[in-house]
Amino acid sequence: MRTLALFTGVIMCGLSVGAYAATEVIHQRGRVFSSETLSVKKGSAVTFLNDDTVPHNIMSASKGNEFNLGSQTPGTSTDVTFKESGDVQVICAIHPRMKMMVKVTE
Amino acid sequence: MSKPGFYHAALLVAAIASTASCLVGFSTIGFGAAVVGESRKVEIPQNARSGLDALKAQYRRPVTIPFPRENPYTPEKAALGKKLYFDTRLSVTSAQSCASCHSPGFGWGDGLAVGVGHGMVNLGRHSPTIINAAWSAIFMWDGRLPTLEEQALGPIQSPGEMNMKLDQLMERLAAIPEYKPMFEAAFPGEGMKSKTLGQAIATYERTVVSERAPFDAWIEGDEKAISSEAKRGFEVFNGKAQCAACHEGWNFTNEGFQDIGLPSKDVGRGEFLPGVIKMQHAFKTPGLREITHRSPFMHDGSLATLEQVIDHYDHAGVDRPSRSDLMRPLELSAQEKADLVAFLKTLTSELGPTAVPVLPR
Repeated sequence: MRTLALFTGVIMCGLSVGAYAATEVIHQRGRVFSSETLSVKKGSAVTFLNDDTVPHNIMSASKGNEFNLGSQTPGTSTDVTFKESGDVQVICAIHPRMKMMVKVTE
Repeated sequence: MSKPGFYHAALLVAAIASTASCLVGFSTIGFGAAVVGESRKVEIPQNARSGLDALKAQYRRPVTIPFPRENPYTPEKAALGKKLYFDTRLSVTSAQSCASCHSPGFGWGDGLAVGVGHGMVNLGRHSPTIINAAWSAIFMWDGRLPTLEEQALGPIQSPGEMNMKLDQLMERLAAIPEYKPMFEAAFPGEGMKSKTLGQAIATYERTVVSERAPFDAWIEGDEKAISSEAKRGFEVFNGKAQCAACHEGWNFTNEGFQDIGLPSKDVGRGEFLPGVIKMQHAFKTPGLREITHRSPFMHDGSLATLEQVIDHYDHAGVDRPSRSDLMRPLELSAQEKADLVAFLKTLTSELGPTAVPVLPR
């Protein structure tokens, strides 16, 4: 019984890492990020939610935290977990006026 | 299997399963990169459909021109910038000025499919208008320059365009006596240098603003200012045809970069973001003000008339991975197409004449 509980526990832990860590949500309505800056702990996730009426392409080229969500259609939500501490410049490749900074701390 | 053996095996399986679940759920884009999770569909509450008045309010003209804090407007700067803009001596051959390709006679473009540069050689792209550049935050068809000051110096130095080295240009301008006091008046204590040259030209360019068009009068309440056809076209523009998804606001652009499916090999913005699929063949969305003075259209000047432009969007162009998700066949009726053209024509003003300045000697 104890083994089964431990087994289940480890599986659940693995499955839910993203869910527990994704506490911050960045909205994109009106071609604007809902925050200009955001601080998160290393290893935490940020949820990028396209609640706008047009597709966005959220990405970062900041060293150690590069990512590219590709074309994110309206009504889509994606979590990004930042692995390195430092400032991460996040942009929309399609709409370069959309810029924000994620400050990843130890 | 003994009990402790099963216990350790179960833990190992659990750990592998846990790791595997992470790998399935997350797709990384490279070592050291952030981890991207699976995308989820989310129900987005829709705003109540706004009425025509609310929609029209989004298109109201601004009352002032924005100038950057680093290069504020002064009449002296704008006057100097205008002389420099029209001065052919800024090119190595002394044959081309900024106005050669961005002429007030052609809606501040050149009326050609693609620009003509040094040695009368064709360039690769259509000369964009400079109208309403004051409201831009990113410059060139491919967005490679971040300020108008830098943009002003770009074509001067480009070997294919004006082909003039800045050191050589500043020496040439210094030998024209009337320029020196103008620079001193515009930039006290700084004088003649490439930085102030760019600032003066950019200041003048920011004063080139589209004039009041029939559309503006309609937005401000004059119902007779545009035809019923054009009013229907405005609704198609904002509705079925989705033009306003990119051509939004009073200047009719959000300065986004989109591949609109033109059959050109030019990768545009993709040169600077090679790993981003949607940026291949993507170009900056141009504004639509003074549009009827600005033919031919598109980044490659490949479409001669507004009717051809509407037909292109109706068919949605070349279907390829980079093509904007907003591009899809529209199935517009002949009436809707005619209405759209009628609407677009209301964005053109009766542009007043531009006086060409007497140049320093």
